[in-house]
Order: sequence, then C-alpha cells, then structure tokens
Amino acid sequence: MTDIMQELKEIVGESVSSSPGERCCYAGDASQITGMPDFVVRPQSTSQVSRILRLCSKRLIAVTARGAGTGLAGGCSPVRGGIVLDMSAMNRILEIDIENQQVIVEPGVVAEKLNSALRPYGFFFPPDPGSLAMCTIGGMISNNSSGMRSVKYGTVRNYVLDLEVVLADGKVLHTGKKVLKSSAGYDLTRLFVGSEGTLGIITQAGLKISPLPSARKLILACFEEAEIAGQAVIEIFASGITPSACEILDRTTLQVLKLCDPLLAIPEDGDIILFEVDGTEQSTSEAAEQICQISQHTAKSVRIALGREMDSIWAARRLVGAAISRLDPSKTRIYMGEDVGVPIKEIPALIKKVQQITTKLDIPAMKYGHIGDGNLHVALFIDVMSEEQWQKLQLAADRIHRAAMELGGTVSSEHGIGLARAHYLPEQMGDEAFIVMRSIKNALDSQGILNPGKMGL
Amino acid sequence: MNLDLKAINQCVRCGSCRTFCPVFEQSGWESANTRGRIMIIKGLTCGLRPDSHILNSLNSCTTCGICTENCPAGINPPELIESARRELVLLGKMTAQQADLSRNIYARGNTFGDSRDRLSWLKDRSFLTKKADYVYFVGCMNSYRYTDTAANTFALLRPFGTTIIPEEQCCGSPLLRTGFDARRFIDKNCMQIEDAGAQTVISGCAGCYTTLKKSYPHSIEVQSVPEFLSERISELNLKPLDLTVTYHDPCHLGRHNKIYEQPRQIIEAICRLKEMKTNKKDARCCGGGGGVRSGYRDLSLQMAKKRLEDVPEDVDFIVTTCPLCIRNLRDAGAGEKVIDLADLVAMATR
Repeated sequence: MTDIMQELKEIVGESVSSSPGERCCYAGDASQITGMPDFVVRPQSTSQVSRILRLCSKRLIAVTARGAGTGLAGGCSPVRGGIVLDMSAMNRILEIDIENQQVIVEPGVVAEKLNSALRPYGFFFPPDPGSLAMCTIGGMISNNSSGMRSVKYGTVRNYVLDLEVVLADGKVLHTGKKVLKSSAGYDLTRLFVGSEGTLGIITQAGLKISPLPSARKLILACFEEAEIAGQAVIEIFASGITPSACEILDRTTLQVLKLCDPLLAIPEDGDIILFEVDGTEQSTSEAAEQICQISQHTAKSVRIALGREMDSIWAARRLVGAAISRLDPSKTRIYMGEDVGVPIKEIPALIKKVQQITTKLDIPAMKYGHIGDGNLHVALFIDVMSEEQWQKLQLAADRIHRAAMELGGTVSSEHGIGLARAHYLPEQMGDEAFIVMRSIKNALDSQGILNPGKMGL
Repeated sequence: MNLDLKAINQCVRCGSCRTFCPVFEQSGWESANTRGRIMIIKGLTCGLRPDSHILNSLNSCTTCGICTENCPAGINPPELIESARRELVLLGKMTAQQADLSRNIYARGNTFGDSRDRLSWLKDRSFLTKKADYVYFVGCMNSYRYTDTAANTFALLRPFGTTIIPEEQCCGSPLLRTGFDARRFIDKNCMQIEDAGAQTVISGCAGCYTTLKKSYPHSIEVQSVPEFLSERISELNLKPLDLTVTYHDPCHLGRHNKIYEQPRQIIEAICRLKEMKTNKKDARCCGGGGGVRSGYRDLSLQMAKKRLEDVPEDVDFIVTTCPLCIRNLRDAGAGEKVIDLADLVAMATR
C-alpha cells in the first residue's frame, strides 16, 4: 500500500488520502450500500486521471468515480475497496458557446453553478434533479439523471454531445464532435451516459443548452386520491398539452412540505398534482387555462400559482425527499424502491399497488414524483434501530420493484442501478440484452477495475 | 461513546450541506463537510479510532449553523459535532490548540491566558455599583483586545442602571464549543450576577450571548446589546451620521438566536445600511467561531476573506456585534473598517 500511495502522490501531490477518517467519509452515498476505499484521490486534470488509471490497470486496483456523492443506489460506493476518484475538483466551465448553443465543462461542475453561469445569457441546462444545488454534471451524466422537467425536456442523455473519457488502460478518447447531431458510427456518447463509471471515467463534457422560457405558470390541482389524480394526468397528456413539469405529491408529502415551509398555501386534504407550463406569456396562459378546465371535472380544487409562490413551492418540493424526518423525528428516510417508473397510463395501477404493499406491511410511505413521465418516488421511512422495520422495508422495496416490472416498467427511472438494484437488471433487460451489456463491459474493461460489482457486471 | 445515535441516523447523507458549509468550500474534502463529519461521528460509534485527521475534521467546524438552517432532514449538526468533541476530550483526545486554549482559560479565566486585570480599561470604578438592574457581561475579547468597545458599550448601558460584576470570568463559550467542561466558570459568573440583584445580563459578544442564553440557568434573562439598545433608541439621542455601512450577522447572534432586525434598526436610526450579498439566515460565516480561529488560523482567514467578498462597494464601515468576527475580518484585510455596533452608536451620541 505504501508504494501505491507514493505513486499516487507523484501523480496528484497532496490530493490523495488514505486516512481512516477520510476513507470513512467516502464509503458511500445516500443509499445503504457502503464499502471502504483504500485511497481517496482528487484529480485535477485528464492527464492525472489517465496516469491513475494506468497505475490501477497495472496493479489491478479497483477505481470508483464519484461526483458529489448524492447518488441513491450505491453507484459511487467502493464496494471492492481500491481508489475513490473524487472528481469534484475538476470543476471548471471551460467554454460557454452561445452561438453554437453548447457548453464544455469538467465533470465536477455543480449543475446549479452551470445554470447560474448561463442565466445572464438567457440559457440553461434543462435536466434538474432535486439535488441540482449540489450534484455534479459528471454524476448526472453517469446516471442519466433528469428531474422535474424531464417530462418536457428529457433526460441528460438528450443533452450530451461529446464526452472526453479515460478508459481503463489510461487511453483518452472523445465520443463526439461539437455538433448538434451526427450520424457517424456507433453512438459512443450515449453508451457512456448512464454507464455509472463502469466503462470509463468522464473528464470533460460538451453539452447542449436551451433558451430559458420567458414565462412559467404552476397549476395546483387537488384530488381525493392519487388514482384519480393519475387519471387526470393521462387526460391532460391525451389532450395534447406537454407541461414542463408534472409532479404528484400525496397527503404525507404535503404534510412534510408544510413542515419545510409553513407559509406554503397548499391544500392538505388530498393528493396534489403540480402542473407547470412554460413558454411565452400567452402560451402559458392558454395552457394553464386548459389544464384547469380538464382537471376541474375530477379535482377537489384547482388554482394557478405564480412568481414567488411558485418558487417557494418548487423550493420545498426539491427538499422533500430528504425531509421526511421532520414529520417523525424517530424515523429516517431510507432510499430503497424509490425510483420506479412505468408507462404513464399504468401510473394509477402502480400507485394502487404501492399503497397495497405499504399498507399490508404497515410501513409508512410518502409518494411523490414525476408522474408526467411515469416516475414515482416512494419514500419509505423507518426507525433504523428496529431490525423488524428493516426487514419490512426490504420486503416493501422488493415488492415495489417487482410491481413496476410487472407493469412493463423499470426499477430505476433516473437514480441509476448501482448495487442497490443490480440484481433486478438481468430480469428487467432480459438475458440476451444483458449478455450484450456484459460483452461491452468486457471489451472496454477486461480486467474489471472500473466500478466493480455495479450494475450486475 | 455517549453520542445521540438517533440524531446521527436522521442524516440521510443527501449532501445538501456541500452547498453551504464554508469549510468544505475551502477544502473540497468530504471530511471538511458536515455530512462527512457526521459519517465520522457515526464511525466513532462503530469502532473508528480517533486520530489527528479525525480531530481536524471535527474541530474545523465553525459551528456557524448554516447547515442546520438548510438541512432538509432538520438535524442540528453543530450540536452533534460539539457532543463528539466533548466525548473525545473525555477520552483525552484533543488537538494541541484545543489543549492550549483550555489551559489558558482554566489558568486565568480568559481565552488569552492574560494575567492582567480584566477591568483595566475602566478608569473610573466608581461607576460599578454593587446592585443594579442590569449587568454588562464584557467578555474576554472586549476586556483584553477591544477595550475601547468595552468602554463605549458600558457608557451606553450605564445610564439605564447597569453594572459589571467584579470578577467576571470567561463565559465558557470557547470551552463548550471545543468540548470542555465550563461549569466552574458558569457557576462563578452566575453567583456574581445573583449578588448584583440584576434581572438581566447584557452581552456585546455573540459567542458570550449564545452561551449565557443556552448554557446558563434559564432564570437569568439575557439580552444582546442590539436587543437592549433597539428598545431604547428614542432615549439614546442619536445624531444622524453621513455614513453608509453594511452589517455582518454573527452566526451565534443571527442563525443561532434569530437576532436579525434589532441591529439593523439601530443602524438605520443612525445612517444608511447597505446589505451584504449574503445576509441574515444566509449570511456567510466569518470563519472564526467554534475554535477554528485558534486552531486553524489559515483556514479561518480564508473564510473571512470569502466573507469580505460579500461587502458591498462604497461602504464606510462593516458593522457587527461580535468581537471575534471583528478580529477575523480585520485580520483578513478589512482592518479598521470593521467596527462594533456599540462604536457606531458611540459616534452618533458624541
């Protein structure tokens, strides 16, 4: 170990640590998956990453890349030890090219900081996970993350034009060009997006950006129960409207939101759908009016929120996932079974199944998420000191994952597979598809040093 | 270790604190972030052995509380960190700087280990009455380093029936923040406050204030200088000054005790106020609290420099209500531009 430390120091100077305290801090993310790394390294350049990977390839050392460690499936947990590459020190915005509607960034750039830099130009990077304020672009790309506005704007995959990637043997390649479209060869860019650091280490990204809409409006529609709310969403989409966000918040979630911000004027006697429309003043007014008209047949109440009120509701919504302890301080939110997705028209069925599962197991749950793209976040919360509750939680999460697959859906819509959901992947993908995936992994990382143990590989 | 496992487990490791922690902003290492510290504390309960790296992680928290303010899970990390420091000190695990600081206070009753008379700044002792409605708690910093501020503050408070206890000791804040026992100082100060028959203790230091308020018996009413003076603005005969100033919210007065408006009311009764880029509950920490100034001077000054970037252009003074903030911001380059609120009020009453 001492000679490896020495070699790492020669590459990155003091940006390496093997102290037990530091290693403990990098043992995992927000999931329950942990592993103790032998070294934590904070590289500052592509050349350093390349040299580190050459060393790891030569010495067969596992390498797990990490952005801000905000993942929810153990994607950055170093379950086989080795090196954690903390990429957050590579955090420069290298180029803002408005004329070509692109930016070039290092992977450690925090998403919100990118948007702050783009705002003066009237542009933004649309994918907006709840962790926007702290998650890094590299982490977002590696998990193909998205967020509340993916219903209109899509996921990270839709915005990545080119990646600089360091392969397992230290070689550096680019996957694309600085063009908005290309039909040249296999789409290596999309291959690396969502690959969770199992195929290479992303050291630079060329991203497409979008103009900021000039107007936004938020429609709050309150329903007697989640299933009715789900039906209303289907009707609105079927009418041809594409909201920029479409979020469901159940009664429990609303209670937590009120605890986050007691001044929020939101109904608490039902399940709410937040529809956001963006565009011009006129187009948003028309769309908001249309949504009100369609949903008022089944909703208990419908109203439009604007300006500061709208911002406050979104701010509280972003916090809600981690805020469940405010409702019952004796319980902690555990991220398991939290990211399932189904075809939109199966959303009411999924909600019903989740309700049945959690009721039967007597485990409290908060249900919220991006109902507009079929992605439901189920927040299960337990007393972590109770072994019995842990067992129930695992059972509930397993049943939720299987329910989503039975409905033709996915075990993860935007948080990734990591290790937490790895055992479902062959089943979800099918044997043949999974064999192809494994072949790709073997072709690019034959020694299996890149994020070993993840995605079932 | 006697640590609150329930509180530790409430941290869901979401990493929101990465956006706010001023120490993490400087360091970039997870061990310098709130989440990392909580993971270390959890590790300590599971057999992680405390070494110098772990002590540095836990002791480099300024206890500014911006993580508490923004934690989605609603936990209070500074409380957890202080309790971990306390447990480690009980095991004899501390940094050399922690040991020095506690030695100074235990030996001389002040943070500097200064053997001089604590009231040397007060020329006319006839002002010190044995009984009074109010006691001005001067604090170590103003007693030894900012004696003009102490004199100005006492001059403002005295007409309202205020005295000073004869043998004031360190309030205990630096000990409590860094994991030591402060009982004997608290007891000695309490006894004298009781002897003076005072209803209320008035503090001009954010650190003393939060300690008096939270660690002293609740029978003692505590007010900060800005609270006390803001209730008496009309009696102060303030003359307007042609100045523009900004106000730095000390963490232990602002976020920890929600005193935001009173200092601003006083300033606006005197001159123009231009807010800092981050202020009130979002105010950046000066980097000096929680034992960080004494233990990690360079880190502390880096944070203070960052805080100075928040100062608006064209202000005559940076006003605050904490001598530790004054010291750190001055040392970071702001010099004499940083003044205590009491000094501004004194200018307006001359």
